[in-house]
Formats: sequence, C-alpha cells, structure tokens
Amino acid sequence: METKVDQTLDCKGLSCPMPMMKLAKAVKGLKSGEVLEMLGTDPGTKSDLPRWCNKTGNTLLDESELPGGISRFLIQKK
Amino acid sequence: MSEKSKETGVLGQLFKTFFAKHWPVWVGGIVLGTLNILLFAIKSPWGASGGINNFGENVYRLIGIFGLENSTHLNASFYGMLCLFLVIGSFIGALLSKEFAFRIPPKGELIKGFIGGGLMALGATFGIGCTIGAFFSGMPAMSGGAVIFTIGLFLGVIVALKYLMWEMEKFPGFSSGKSFTFLAGTGKSGIWQKWAGWIALIITLIIAYQYSGGNKIMTWFIIIGMLMGLISQRSRFCIVKAFRDPFMTGEADGSVGVMAGLLVGLFGFTIIKYFGIGVGDVALRTREMTWVFPHFFFRAAIGGFIFGLGMTIAGGCAVGTLWRVGEGQVKLWASALGFLIISPISKLFIVPPIVAAIPQSWDFKNYLPDYLGYSGAFALIVLIILIWYVFVKWNEKTGKFSAY
Repeated sequence: METKVDQTLDCKGLSCPMPMMKLAKAVKGLKSGEVLEMLGTDPGTKSDLPRWCNKTGNTLLDESELPGGISRFLIQKK
Repeated sequence: MSEKSKETGVLGQLFKTFFAKHWPVWVGGIVLGTLNILLFAIKSPWGASGGINNFGENVYRLIGIFGLENSTHLNASFYGMLCLFLVIGSFIGALLSKEFAFRIPPKGELIKGFIGGGLMALGATFGIGCTIGAFFSGMPAMSGGAVIFTIGLFLGVIVALKYLMWEMEKFPGFSSGKSFTFLAGTGKSGIWQKWAGWIALIITLIIAYQYSGGNKIMTWFIIIGMLMGLISQRSRFCIVKAFRDPFMTGEADGSVGVMAGLLVGLFGFTIIKYFGIGVGDVALRTREMTWVFPHFFFRAAIGGFIFGLGMTIAGGCAVGTLWRVGEGQVKLWASALGFLIISPISKLFIVPPIVAAIPQSWDFKNYLPDYLGYSGAFALIVLIILIWYVFVKWNEKTGKFSAY
C-alpha cells in the first residue's frame, strides 16, 4: 500500500549540509505521525539520514532509488 | 536474496565490502592517518591547499599574467599531483560504487561554493595551511600553531553555520530552484560506471609507473593520492562535518572519524620525528620541524577563522572539496575554482603587505616538544582530542549545543 505523503521536500542538486539542514527544518514543522517525502541526489544523505532518524527517534519508512540518480526517502515524524 | 548472495564469488564479496555501502568514517580516518604517516616517511606529510595553489599558479602561468613563469609545473609538483590524483581517486571510488553523477545545484549554491572557495584560499594563504596541513597533519606534527589554527576553525565554523541557518530562514529561495543531474549510475544502465572506474584505475597505475624510473617519490604520491581520494569518497571523510555537525544535528560520527585519524597520525609522526626517520641529508632539527609553520599565533588564529567560514559556506574543506569534485558535485567545482583563482592572488598581493605590518614575535614556529618535551607535547595533543571526544559524545546525547 502506498504511504500517504503530507509534504515533499526537494533537495535535488544540493550538497552537504543543505539537505540535512532543510530536512531537519521541514520535520520540525510537521505534526506527529505526518510523513515527509524527501528527494535528493547527494550520496552523503544515504548515510546521514538513517543515522539522524535513529538519533532523533523519527522513523525512516522507506528508502528507494528513482531513475536519474535520485534517492527518495519517506520519514515519519515521531 | 540468499540465492543471489550465494552466486557472488569470493572476489565479488570483497568488491561489495568496499563499494556496496559507505564505510564507517572512523575506518576512513584510521586508513587516512596511516597513509599520512607513509607520506611523511617518504617525504613530508599530507597537505591540500599547497596543491590547489599550484593548480592556480599553473592557470596564471598559461595565461601569462602575474609573472609566474617560474612556478612549478603541475606534473613536477608533488602536492599538485597528490591533489590531482585525490580527485581521480574519488572519481574511481564513485564510479565503482555507481555513485558518480554531474549534480548541478541551484544558482545560489554555485555562488556560495565560489565565495566559500575564495575565503578558503584567503584563510589558507594567510594562515599557512588548511584543514589538512595545519590541522589533520599539523596537530600530529605537534605544532603549537596548529592548535591555534584549530581554535580559529571552530569559531569560523560556528559563525558561518549561524549564517547558513539565517539564510535558510530568511532567503530559502537562495538554495532552491532549478537543478540538474546527468549521467547518474542508478539501475542496470549504470553498469558502464564500473567499467569506467576500472579503466581509470588502470590508467592511474600506468601514470604512476611512468614516474618510477626517475622520480620514485612521485610514483608513491600518485598512488597514495589516489587511495586517499577513494577512501575519502567511500567513508565520506569530511573535516567540515567533524567541526560542524555537533552544532547542527548533534551527530558525532564525523568528529570521531577525524579524531581516529589524528591519533593514528600522532603516533606515526612522533616516532618519525623522535627517531629522525627518513632524515637523509638534512639536519635532524629540520626533520623535527616538518609541518611546524611560522604562524603561531596571529596568522594561525585569523587564517583558521577565515578558512572555517569558507569551508562551511562551501560545504567542503580543501580535501572535502577535492573528493566531491571527483564525485561530480558541481557546487564544489565552483568552490575549487574560487580556491585556485584566489589563492595565488592572495599569496602574491594580499598576504605580503599584511604580514609586513605585523610584528615578527606574533608569528613564529612553535614546536610544542621544545616547551613540554616529547611526552608532554604528546600528552597535550591526546588530551585535546579526548576533551573534544567527551564534548561531542555528551552533546550527541543531550543536544545542548546542537541547533536541530
């Protein structure tokens, strides 16, 4: 079943630290249980984002690769 | 899944160990620290800003301005070649793990990259060194100036991080907009990247071999530079991250990775200096004073601060910029361009008049063992690393100093 996405954050083309800064800010603005879709192309995000979720208690629901080198992450706010 | 992994042979498994996932940063730190010792053993320690400055001098030499016709040609410059092959090594690492792509960011990010690179050039030329020469190598070299440079870096990073957060709140449009990605290696169609990676690796080894007749040191600088780029790319070894993340997301992994590298380097450098290993024809004192620059304290403090500002805005220090260039991150191309264009200008025209105006007693070579003995200096550097470790770990738990 496709997860309902409440907000999408486009970080394509951005380099570290912008994706993580934008992500942290966007998640701050969500209500508990809401889901953020993040699209990015920085390979660093693939290791930074799961670690950050682990630390902050937010849930990384899904991580997938889209065509064109884009990583897609679904994060549910704690 | 299990069937698939059965099909993978022993060499396939080995390949996956290196290129399927990112390495822990501390693994990268330890290996980079070790390679740094090897560089020192055969010549002198790792540095990055000197190599980028050499790129810039070669550009101006080709254009024929600033009277740089006597500057060292790139193919004869140890540190120029080290930096060049660091970029190529990262390119190889990115290709073999199918992570290479041209990633073109929004315009505002390109501008920030260029300005950050220019600031790094000013900081490196004034402070005599960058995050590698005056920190990752300078601390293990037991240079008092490196300790001051590090404090300057910290302050610069904190100020620039505040700026980035302010910019994101007030002008979110600056870092958004049209972006493009080309030649990405995702999916089956990206298999060409692996082939290209092997070809680039073979070409690198052939070039290194070409030097082995008359210039054996260069052969090793090429190979070690390539390995340093590959390892930095795979472990995402980044000194900006080490300084910045505790104040941003509170993450400590990047910092611990850098500390691991510092500690390994400290052991190796101390042994080389203490026993005068590789001293050759030069005096023992010269070997001891390697990578101890005349910047204690004023030039180190100001240079470190400006460099800290620049690397945070660019999103990569000298080496972090180079390996991200190899991975195809175009923001860091702008940063490298800013660095190499500004560096020779700053060295020729901006730094000399300022240095002439400051008293010599403000900038001398401070070698910590001269004051504390070898054991005292060694213990001091270990203590600084330990305090930093306790701080980042405590902050990771409590989030006291992190913004998010």
